[in-house]
Amino acid sequence: MSRVRVFLTAVLVLAALLVFAQQEVLPGIARNEVLIIEDPSGRSTNPGRFNLWGGGVSSWSTGLQQLCLGTLWYIDPDEGIEGEPWINLLAAEPPIYNDDYTKMTVRLRKGIYWSDGVPFTADDVVFTVETLKAHPEMTWGAYMQVNVEKVYKTDDYTVVFELKKPNGRFHTIFTVRWAACYIMPKHIFEKVDDVVAFDFNPPVGTGPYVLKSYDPNGYWFLWELRSDWERSDLGVVYGVKPGAKYVLYKGIASPEKKVMDQMAHELDIIHDLPPESAIALYKSNPYCVTWFDGWPWAHPDPTLPSIIMNHEQYPYNMKEVRWALTLAIDIVQVALQAYNGCATISPIHIPPTGLYPKWYFDKIEPWLKEFTIKVGNKEFKPYDPEIPVKIANAVKYAFGYDVPQDPNEIKKMVGYGWWKYAPDVAEELLKSVGFTKKGGKWYRPDGKPWKIHILCEAATRSVMTRAAVAIAEQWRKFGIDADIEAVEPSMLWQRMNYGQDPDTVYWAWCIETWGGHPDLFWFLESWHSEYYRPTGQTVVAKNPMRYKSEKIDKVIEDLRKTDFFKEIDKIIELGLEYVKVCVEDMPIIPVFSYNVFTVCDGYYWTGYPTAKNPYTNPVPNWGNTRFMFIKIQPTGRK
Amino acid sequence: MRAFFKYAVTRFLICLLVIFIGVTITFVIPRLIPGANPAEVVIRRLQMAGTYLPPESVEKMKEALLKLYGLEGSLFQQYLRFWKEFLRGNLGPSFASFPTPVIKLIATSLPWTVGLLALTTVVSWLSGTILGGIAGFRKRGLFMKILEIFANAVRPIPYYILALLLLILFAYVLRLLPTGGAYQIGLSPSLSWKYISSVIKHGLLPALSLIILGIGGWFLNMRNLVSAVLQEDFVDFAFLMKLDESVIFRFYTMKAALPPQLTGLALQLGMIFNGTIITEIVFNYPGLGTLIYTAIMQSDYNLVMGVTLFSIVAVAFATFLIDISLPLIDPRVQYSGSSV
Amino acid sequence: MGFLHPVFSAIRRLFKYDPRFRFAFIAIACLVVFAFLSIFSPYDPRSSYYAPISQPPSLKHIFGTNGRGQDLFWLLTFAMKNSLIFSLEVALLSRIIAIVVGITAGYKRGILDQILVLLCDSFIILPLFPLLVFLKLIMRQMSFSTLAIVLALFGWPWDARLIRSQVLSLRERVFTYSAIFSGRSLLSMIFSDYLPHILPITLATTVNNMLWSLGFEITLSILGLTPLDIPSMGTVTYWAIQQQAMVMGTWWWLAFPIGLLVLLFVALYFLFVSITDYINPKARIISR
Repeated sequence: MSRVRVFLTAVLVLAALLVFAQQEVLPGIARNEVLIIEDPSGRSTNPGRFNLWGGGVSSWSTGLQQLCLGTLWYIDPDEGIEGEPWINLLAAEPPIYNDDYTKMTVRLRKGIYWSDGVPFTADDVVFTVETLKAHPEMTWGAYMQVNVEKVYKTDDYTVVFELKKPNGRFHTIFTVRWAACYIMPKHIFEKVDDVVAFDFNPPVGTGPYVLKSYDPNGYWFLWELRSDWERSDLGVVYGVKPGAKYVLYKGIASPEKKVMDQMAHELDIIHDLPPESAIALYKSNPYCVTWFDGWPWAHPDPTLPSIIMNHEQYPYNMKEVRWALTLAIDIVQVALQAYNGCATISPIHIPPTGLYPKWYFDKIEPWLKEFTIKVGNKEFKPYDPEIPVKIANAVKYAFGYDVPQDPNEIKKMVGYGWWKYAPDVAEELLKSVGFTKKGGKWYRPDGKPWKIHILCEAATRSVMTRAAVAIAEQWRKFGIDADIEAVEPSMLWQRMNYGQDPDTVYWAWCIETWGGHPDLFWFLESWHSEYYRPTGQTVVAKNPMRYKSEKIDKVIEDLRKTDFFKEIDKIIELGLEYVKVCVEDMPIIPVFSYNVFTVCDGYYWTGYPTAKNPYTNPVPNWGNTRFMFIKIQPTGRK
Repeated sequence: MRAFFKYAVTRFLICLLVIFIGVTITFVIPRLIPGANPAEVVIRRLQMAGTYLPPESVEKMKEALLKLYGLEGSLFQQYLRFWKEFLRGNLGPSFASFPTPVIKLIATSLPWTVGLLALTTVVSWLSGTILGGIAGFRKRGLFMKILEIFANAVRPIPYYILALLLLILFAYVLRLLPTGGAYQIGLSPSLSWKYISSVIKHGLLPALSLIILGIGGWFLNMRNLVSAVLQEDFVDFAFLMKLDESVIFRFYTMKAALPPQLTGLALQLGMIFNGTIITEIVFNYPGLGTLIYTAIMQSDYNLVMGVTLFSIVAVAFATFLIDISLPLIDPRVQYSGSSV
Repeated sequence: MGFLHPVFSAIRRLFKYDPRFRFAFIAIACLVVFAFLSIFSPYDPRSSYYAPISQPPSLKHIFGTNGRGQDLFWLLTFAMKNSLIFSLEVALLSRIIAIVVGITAGYKRGILDQILVLLCDSFIILPLFPLLVFLKLIMRQMSFSTLAIVLALFGWPWDARLIRSQVLSLRERVFTYSAIFSGRSLLSMIFSDYLPHILPITLATTVNNMLWSLGFEITLSILGLTPLDIPSMGTVTYWAIQQQAMVMGTWWWLAFPIGLLVLLFVALYFLFVSITDYINPKARIISR
């Protein structure tokens, strides 16, 4: 009886499946008209809210900051769409400061219209700043309140800011690195009673796309090209029609799914993948486009994951200890295990990405090669410029990837060099400050066994977990009782900011830079001792290691006085000072840049940015990917 | 009848008490996490995303946010304020998605979770119970033995792997079913056949994976229960009286073995409000699982409370209903604190 | 140690006559031996990248190597050991609590029963997954032993209720009243009369409990919330998923751990089913 029933049900189900057999991506829209991009923020908890200024928007990269909202300036982390990283978008030219940096004048671009047909003018900028100033709970509200005394327009396309104190970098708030303060449409927000509660749905922006529809459950957002695209910001500046009629941003949590979707040509741009998947995808999809065509595939982001330790915690206050830990790390192994060798390493406290190799790395390399540390009465040169070649060879041996022969090529791909793997020197350094080694295990000068927990990210960024595991293993080999603890990213940042975990170092990042401009102010400002916060109080910005140095203070004070645009050489000079001080002190251990395996599919679309054509950053959640859309054109395949 | 009434009232009061305890625990625990202040979480998220927030602005913003969220005052004061609002039916705004009300966020995900999980729970319970009953009754059948082994073999497979395998097989290899989502991209909710059929089509794989996951447990439990019941004297008598086997099966065996199974069903139905985070991740399916996980990670106290509240109330009521209805089904059980 | 003798003879009887028990006994013994082999492992379970990556099973590496350059065979001996110990800890602890609470509540009834039921329900309604995430956030370091204790504290209420219901119905039976009237002590009655009825349920719930705790361990590991550098069935699965074993074609990385788990549970099931049937004399004779 039951057997017959089961069989009948099976037949019915199969029949039903066959009836439903046809699949469509979008009703009524041809596949080759849609550019499908992954939004790494996944499922948006509150998809109907687009008011970035009011906060409470869980994902800015649903297309909102890439296609819709715009702001005055962009600094491209790579070369920039016209070969120049600095881009004037809503502004017509760079900002004009007065002599003591208390006044900033901005000339806006003419001819740009909001997507609902209203012209973009100085009124919008003034309104944005005044609204923010009045509401410190808004995203950039506190910043405006602290910095802006008065803002007004002198004509429809010129805005003047009067600042409360000299600030030569005030313009950075409107300069997109990943995001920035976007401009609100005055004609919409002025009609609203509560600017914080207002949802701004549908969003209206100066960008070339409008929101067509979105998933109330937050998994996808569909944007359509404006019929008046030539009046959008990109249209006015470049005059080129974006190639994709529709752009779809999807949140996909499972990496296996992303791979399978792209193999079936249902996903055009994947934000990030674990190395093996990216490489497997590259090998099996003939249309695959990655930043580097071949090893090391990934795009280096201007962020520098490092081992961060709290200097208020014993024994990390001693630079010998920090250096010893550095010399006990075999970076070749770490690169292999974390990234399958596709990491871009950096020995100094600057990300090895964008134009920094030219500005900093080339200049500092001779000094690095000569740099010596004193161990007892011996001298030791810790820098090893051969490491990139070692990584290339190891990669070839372990994974069989094709690596170039020319060491200069290799340098461009994986970095200039790193610190030697010298556990014997590390031992002597430790012994010189009172550490002892008994039975292969290290004991601190106070007699306790040396334990280290490496706090790192868990499932979301597996390369970080893998690197932490590798480092822990090497330290264990060295004789330290090391293990890892993986937590959610927000937890990691929180604990790092408070710095209260005993025996813990943090595997995270605090150094982030423009990529397209040598100024280090972005993160370095908060290293000044006036912002210092002791353990137990949350760190103000980018100094979780609670590093205090008079030399660094001086560099920062000098940097503050430099002109962002006119004194590039001085900025680089100060930056090199900073590098030298940090190499001496080794406040944190820089490892590699955060390389993103952004994988694109060339089946339906072409024109993606690559290392050969680095006109912008392909990593799709960055605000600067805006410029991709005028270069990406259909291939014509159905 | 009076005894029953007195009993039902007592149980109901206990049910309310249990809800109260659960709510209090849910209120307190998120606030115990050191340094997980919602204002700081918001600021940190902005900083992690690369937004430039210079040092002095950070302090100011934190103060402003705390005031906005209404988080001033001691823990006890916040607790009292919470109950005041709650009894007025207001669950408050979500902090991470301020100022969207918590109810609105839950309302979008709730129907999907309830729909999917209620359906799959009932289906797997029914099939598992019936098949398990037959397996327990008829110990010799080869088909049943194979089913037994299969049911056991499937259970330890990690659900993520099981779901992925199904997805690969049906969506990518055979291309019979969609790869994810609750319904096709571009459609809007309506009562049209197009929308409804899309929902069904997109729900098949998640449902299938959940049914396979759940059926094993019900099957094995029922089989064991039936085995135990078969030891009873009254079953022997039924056989001795030469009653028809199907009658013995249905009325003497299944009915007697049902009470714990029904309890399990009721409890499981109560627990569907927890959502299934892995189903949501693998199939891009909307639901409460990811909602509550993200809420915890973002220290969104109100949202955590809101979602957990549903779960607590549902489970508490489920146990209450079990407690008052089981005495009616199993005559051997008495009213004074009886049932499972 | 007088009661050991009937236990041994029971085992011998089961082994001889019940093919299910035979299979189960041998399989579980093999798995325990497998876990025991971890003592002889030539490799440190926490080290990685000592062997060539992602090699299929061969003579040198019986189960192959995984994407982290670890020998899968030896890695799994540790994983099996850790997971077995973990789930046994949870099962044992929670059984003890469940039995004590269940019997007390069912037998004593009245106020004590109400209080215990209240306690049970308070635990049942708390959604475990969010709670575990919270505890992890509060406690920071969550070792496997801590996790075991927490799971044990949440694994008993459901089964306590089951046992309680069983005891409630047993209490009303004739043999209870006759025992009370004939003046038998409570404890001896519980042990000799109730236990045989409770044991089947307890054993069945133990299997469920072990599965449940292992499932939880795996789910938490997949989200990265357990100590990831210590091998357990959950963390091995975590790494296999992280390094995309399914997409990469390194099927053995997933197949062997899952295979071992399946073997374990099928064997456990048969073990308990055959013991249950043995305890109930009628079932031995009459199988319909």
